[in-house]
Amino acid sequence: MRKSLLYLSVVVFLGVLGLSWLTHGTGVIKNDIARNIYIPSELTMPLQVKAAYNGRDMFFRYRWPTKQPSIYHDMVKFEGGKWVRYGASVAGPQPQGIYEDRVTMFVDDGSVPEFARYGGYITVGDRMRFFTNEAKPDEVRAHPYLGKKKKQAEVWKYLPATRRDINDWASIVPEEELAALRKSGYFLDLWHWRAHRANPIDASDDQFVSEFRYGDTGKGPFSANWDGEKKQPKFMFDPQKSGRRALNWDDLIQRKLGFDDVYYLTEQMSAPFDATYAWKEGDTIPRRLLQIGQGSRFDISVVGKARWKDGYWDVILKRAMDTGSPLDDKIMIDKRVYNVAFAVHTNASGSRWHYVSLPKTLGLGRDAEMQAVRFDGDEPKWDQPWTDVTLFYPGQVSWPMLNSRQHAGADKIKEGVPVRARHSEVQLANYGVEVEFAEEIRRQWLYTLLAGVLLILGFGVALIGLLRRKGA
Amino acid sequence: MGPYHSVLIHFPIALLMTATLAILVRAVSDAPLARAIDRALVPLLAIGVLAGFVAFAVGLMVWPWEAISSTPLGRNHVLLASWTLSYWILMLALRWSAGEAIWQGVTRWVMAGLALLGSALLGITGTLGGHLVGNYTELSAVLRLLGWEVYTTYYVPDYTVLAIVVAAIILAAIGLWGRRQPAAA
Repeated sequence: MRKSLLYLSVVVFLGVLGLSWLTHGTGVIKNDIARNIYIPSELTMPLQVKAAYNGRDMFFRYRWPTKQPSIYHDMVKFEGGKWVRYGASVAGPQPQGIYEDRVTMFVDDGSVPEFARYGGYITVGDRMRFFTNEAKPDEVRAHPYLGKKKKQAEVWKYLPATRRDINDWASIVPEEELAALRKSGYFLDLWHWRAHRANPIDASDDQFVSEFRYGDTGKGPFSANWDGEKKQPKFMFDPQKSGRRALNWDDLIQRKLGFDDVYYLTEQMSAPFDATYAWKEGDTIPRRLLQIGQGSRFDISVVGKARWKDGYWDVILKRAMDTGSPLDDKIMIDKRVYNVAFAVHTNASGSRWHYVSLPKTLGLGRDAEMQAVRFDGDEPKWDQPWTDVTLFYPGQVSWPMLNSRQHAGADKIKEGVPVRARHSEVQLANYGVEVEFAEEIRRQWLYTLLAGVLLILGFGVALIGLLRRKGA
Repeated sequence: MGPYHSVLIHFPIALLMTATLAILVRAVSDAPLARAIDRALVPLLAIGVLAGFVAFAVGLMVWPWEAISSTPLGRNHVLLASWTLSYWILMLALRWSAGEAIWQGVTRWVMAGLALLGSALLGITGTLGGHLVGNYTELSAVLRLLGWEVYTTYYVPDYTVLAIVVAAIILAAIGLWGRRQPAAA
C-alpha cells in the first residue's frame, strides 16, 4: 500500500508539473482593442537593405516579405446616403484590409547620441497615441503649444530633450529652446515611403521627429480629400480622364485592383466633387489626393517602380545627399558614419503596429555595420550583398518606462550601455508584448510561484510520511 | 548587491550539485565508499540550502522589487530560485527524516530521480541568472526547443494553479495518512 501511494505521489507530482509545462504562458495574452491592444501573430520579420551614393545622390534599397501587398488606404464609401470613412488608423489590422504598407527609416548624423544606442525607443514618449494610456484628444487640444498652436490632438513621436520631464508629454521646453535644439541638429530625419500615399506617383514623404513628428517644409505628396463641413469628398475621379467617378467597394474588398489599375486619386485624374450626381451604394473615393509636392517635403523619390512581386516588396528611394535643408534633413557627406533604424508596416496595420529595428551604423566609405557603396553614374548597380536586419514588434515600451524603476536596465541606460549589448530582437519583442499585460502577468506569475512552492511542500509531506524510518 | 550575489551563488550550486552526485553514487552502490559519502549527505544538503537562502536573499536586493517583478527574465529567475530552494529543502528533510532506509528497495531510484530533477532546476535557475547579467548559455535554446521561450514569463492559467493546489492538498493528505500507518520494516 505504501509503495503504491509512493508511486501515486510521484505520478501526481510529475503530472501537475507536466500540466504546468503544457499550459504555461496561456490565459492572459489576448487582443483587447478597447485598450488598444492587438498582438501580431508574428513578432519578428526580416528586412534587407542596401545603400549606395555617387557624391550627389543617396540611394537606399529595401526588400521585405509580405504575403500580400496592401496598397489601398483611407477611403470613403457611399453608404446609406452618406460618405463613410474606411481605412483610418485603428488598433491592429484594418478590418477591411484598407491600410497601406510602409517602410520608414530614421537617419541621424550623431547629433542625437541616444539614438545610436537605443534607436527608435527614444522617440516613444509618455502617453503616446494608441498606447493603452494614450493622452485624450481634449488634453492635447488644450495644450498651449501642441494643441492650440500646432493644432494636434494626439501625442506622436518626440525626442527626450524636447521635454523638461521625460515622464510628461506636456512638459515641452520653451519654443526658443526647441528652435535651438533643431538648429543644433537635435532631430531625426525620417524617410517615409507609403504604398498608397505617394508610391503611385513614384514619390515618398520626407519628415523628421523633434518635439513632434512633422513633415518637412514645403508641400507633401498627398493631401486630405475631405470637406469636413459638407461631409463629402472635395474631389472625385474625373470621368473624362479616368472613365469613372468612383471606385467600386467590392473591387477593393476582393483586392481586385492591382498596381496597373486605378486604386488611387491624383490631381491629374480628379475633378471637383459633384454632390448632385446620383451616387450609388458602394461607390468609393480615396480620401487622400496624391499631388506633386514641393520643397524639402518632396526631396525623396522612388527609383523605377516600387512593386511587390513573388512575396517581396522591393523599394528603392533616392534623395540628394545635400538637400540644402539642414533643419529638416540629415545632410549626407562622404566618409561620414550615420546611425539608421528601420521600420515596416505590413498586414494592413498602421500607427504603432509596425516592426522596428535596433539602430545600425551606416558608413559612407567608412567602416560600419552597413556600408553605403560609392559608385559613378546616375544609378547604382546594386551588386553588393544585402544587409540583413531583424525587425521586431516593439509593443508598448516607452522611453519613460525604460528609464524608470520598472526597468532593471535603467541604470545601464544612464551609463550609456547600448540596447544591443543586453537585448536581442526576439527578447525585445517578447518583452514588448508582456509590457502590454504587465499587471496581469505579474499577478499570474506570483500565483504560479506560490502554487509551485505549495506543491513542493505537499510532495515533501507525502514523501516524508511514506518513507519515514522504521520506528519513527 | 549584484557582484555579491554572483559570488554567493557559487556555494549552493557547488554544494547541491555535489549532493546530487552523492545521491546518485549512493543510489547505485551499497559499497563502503558510497555509504561513507551518504553520511555526509545531510550536512552537505543543509549547508547547501543555507547557502541558497543567503544567495536568494542577497539576490532579491540586486534590483528593486518593482524592476525584478516587471522583467520576464527577472520573474523567471525569482520563480525558479524559489522552487529550487524549496525543492532542496524537501530533499534535505526527506533524507534527514527517512534516514538510511531511503536507500532500500525502489526508493533509492526515486531519490536518484528527485536529485536529477533538483539539479535540473538548479541549472535552469543559474542559466536565467546568467541571462540577467548578460552571460548567455545554450541551455535557453534547449528550453526553447522544449516549448519555453525564456524571454517570456513562466506563468500558468488559473485552472492550472487550481490543479496544482488541489494536487498539493492530495499529496499532503497522502503523507499525513502515511504517518498514521505503521512504518515500513
